[in-house]
Amino acid sequence: MTNTFSRGLSRRAFLQTTALLGLGLGAGPGFAQNLVKTEGLKPAIGPFRWLDSGGQKGEFFKQYLAKYAQIQGIEVVYDGLPWKEISSVLPLGIRNQSAPDTFNLPIGMEPSVAIAEGWLQPIDNLIPDFDTWKKAYPDGAFVEGVNVFGGRTYGFPFSTERRFNNALLFNQDMMNAAGYDKIGADRALTFEEMRDAAKKMTEGSGGRSFGFIIGGAQEQRWGDVATMLAQRGGATVGNTGLLQGMDLKTGQFAFDHDAYVAGVELLLAMRDDGSVFPGCLTIIAPQAREFITQGAAGMIIQGPWNVPIWEATAPSFKFGVSPGPAPDEASLDNPIWVMQLPNSANMMWLNAKAKNPQYAGDIFHWLGTVEGQVAYANVASSADPAIFPESIKLAKLSDRAKIMLKMAEDRVRVAPNPLVRQPGLSKVAAAYVDPTPNLAQAVQGLFSGQLSGVKATLKKASDARNKALDTAIAKAKAAGAGVSRDDFVFANWDPSRDFGPADYAKL
Amino acid sequence: MAAISHILERGAEGATLGQRIWKSRIDYLFLIPGMLVFGAFIFWPMIASFYYSTLDWTGFGAHSEFIGLANYAELLNDEFFYSAFKRSFLFMLATVPFQMIVGLMLAIVLNNKFLKLATVFRAMIFLPVVSPVAVIAIVMVLMLSPFNGPINGFLIETHLVSRAVDLLGSPQMVLWTLAGIFVWKWTGITLVYWLAALQTVPDELYEAAKLDGVKTWQVIMHIVLPIVAPFAVVIGLISAISALNVFPLIQATTQGGPFFSSEVMEVYIFRTAFAPSSGQFPRLGYASAAGVIFGLSIMALTILQVIAVRRVRRKEAENV
Repeated sequence: MTNTFSRGLSRRAFLQTTALLGLGLGAGPGFAQNLVKTEGLKPAIGPFRWLDSGGQKGEFFKQYLAKYAQIQGIEVVYDGLPWKEISSVLPLGIRNQSAPDTFNLPIGMEPSVAIAEGWLQPIDNLIPDFDTWKKAYPDGAFVEGVNVFGGRTYGFPFSTERRFNNALLFNQDMMNAAGYDKIGADRALTFEEMRDAAKKMTEGSGGRSFGFIIGGAQEQRWGDVATMLAQRGGATVGNTGLLQGMDLKTGQFAFDHDAYVAGVELLLAMRDDGSVFPGCLTIIAPQAREFITQGAAGMIIQGPWNVPIWEATAPSFKFGVSPGPAPDEASLDNPIWVMQLPNSANMMWLNAKAKNPQYAGDIFHWLGTVEGQVAYANVASSADPAIFPESIKLAKLSDRAKIMLKMAEDRVRVAPNPLVRQPGLSKVAAAYVDPTPNLAQAVQGLFSGQLSGVKATLKKASDARNKALDTAIAKAKAAGAGVSRDDFVFANWDPSRDFGPADYAKL
Repeated sequence: MAAISHILERGAEGATLGQRIWKSRIDYLFLIPGMLVFGAFIFWPMIASFYYSTLDWTGFGAHSEFIGLANYAELLNDEFFYSAFKRSFLFMLATVPFQMIVGLMLAIVLNNKFLKLATVFRAMIFLPVVSPVAVIAIVMVLMLSPFNGPINGFLIETHLVSRAVDLLGSPQMVLWTLAGIFVWKWTGITLVYWLAALQTVPDELYEAAKLDGVKTWQVIMHIVLPIVAPFAVVIGLISAISALNVFPLIQATTQGGPFFSSEVMEVYIFRTAFAPSSGQFPRLGYASAAGVIFGLSIMALTILQVIAVRRVRRKEAENV
């Protein structure tokens, strides 16, 4: 998992490699121009260490950091770990003072809490000509409460959250054979159509493959898929972390919303039809992805990162993409919502005890230019889209990647974020204890048959989460935070468009 | 000579504790490295766990709050804690008897000096013991896959089942499947213990029985088993503790799922301490409280078995 780089390489070689990598992934040649040694940096103390969640962006960083190590003449250690491992490894590393110089935060950990815990340091003073550099970013890339705290920048954004994290990806031949050849970026399946397609795919294969697959051992997949289905059904709920399933118009968790119930019932109906890949409860998402290219299953709900992976690893595999299914034809154009523009999960944060912060600043600086963003976009493709819109236009992307990005532009909107509105809510997040079972666990339990009664189960999970949040708010208040449940209510939210700084100002 | 011994004994009795320690200082010096290791890796973690169990602490921050026994009180109302606790002991009860009986049967067969290739068979049975748990877990997940796993293929081919069985994905079957894998992996070590125990049966008894025309099963029932029975307590204790420490196997196969149906205590502790669900922070204090309770219960089990060993030995002494 660890890659150590320390040899020198020319600028030409980097450009060639980037271009080849881009071509190999079906993304076209790179646009990186001048990757030159930065003079004047302090000598490195030991290796410069970078930890992220891997995936397609990890492919870029593996290559780029190797070249950077060679040009700067330092040792770089890159680790790309699954989120679950980051959740367990990073806190231990912080405690033992052995954490990498820069890293992704564990999913669900609010940056403000990490700052309060002394994990992070700001990057303002490490990036040359910081203000000019920052101004080149698109609006909404630096947000107080997301990656800026107390006026100081902590999180380095390089990718956008505006992506279809739970799109429908499918085997085109199987979909055609099921009679749904018109399904694509402009026309999603309805729930009924999806169930029918899954059934036909299973029956049509003679038992060799199944209509639908999910990496069900990865508990959180159930919560993410159920939430996307609910959003497509019109539930105006948050999509991730503490806010997952919270109706941001009322400030209450709404797992028992009719749209959630309908979404979970779709999953159970496909299971009862025998259309779901057997053994899906013991496989994780990457395994499920592999089974699709092997023809073992016809449809999967996953993110845009599948596109470059499949195009690189299974170039002859014919697949299509579409937005996630919606309950009926009337809801096909419903949007889905993310919590902010910059992808905060991908964001890199600087260890408060980093041994080589100057190298992190140097790398962040280059990646925050059009040149760096284009080089990044050539490899990251639609998986973790670059945050500069112009870099996406300049990058060479495959047709499917372009479709994925277009789907995101058309249907993904930025929802209001209570943590942006009221930074004091970080104390609530820190005090919050998630009840068991939570949404993801409840859906998994319903699917595995250990829980019964969709509405009742989801209501129970919703009530428990509301109660847990009230408890956390009370604790935070007792600790001096001026917070209330009203901070989660956005009465002025128009779900059809991005909720921006002007909307926050009106609150 | 006896007089000298008497004087020495009296001298020893008359000395203070300090004088006796000083007298044996070289012996104590040799004990220090062992005591340091014991203190650092056994004693200190035990004390630290109890201390952490009294804190509301994520485990990675500087901020922690002393909350007394509140974590314990919360645990007592946590149905998932009870379920995991029960599952751990259920797993132990399901595996240990099997392991011991199968191990003993194999040991009796392989202890036969006239059995050709006994060494080869012993090595084959012992092979899973030395194989890494992670490797076994990955292989088993593939073998047991309901989609293309060879075990399901065999079951369907032989018409034992009509459709594939999701042995690791079925909440009803997952724990028993894991128990089967556990027994398969660790029976080799139980076999070795039993083989050692069987060496205590004198050859003369086998020879006398043979001359008397005693049947094999009678030899086993009336000669072998009574002699090796006391060893069962020790082997049972070792096997029971091993069955309660099953974290690597379960984490590498099911991670306690689906929906907690294979979540034993160690997985529960790990989940609460290091791998919380999205939107939540780890709870090291709470996990430590669960660890303390689980540790104490294993300790109680150990004490019970130590008492049992003593009783067996006392009986043996009385019989002699």
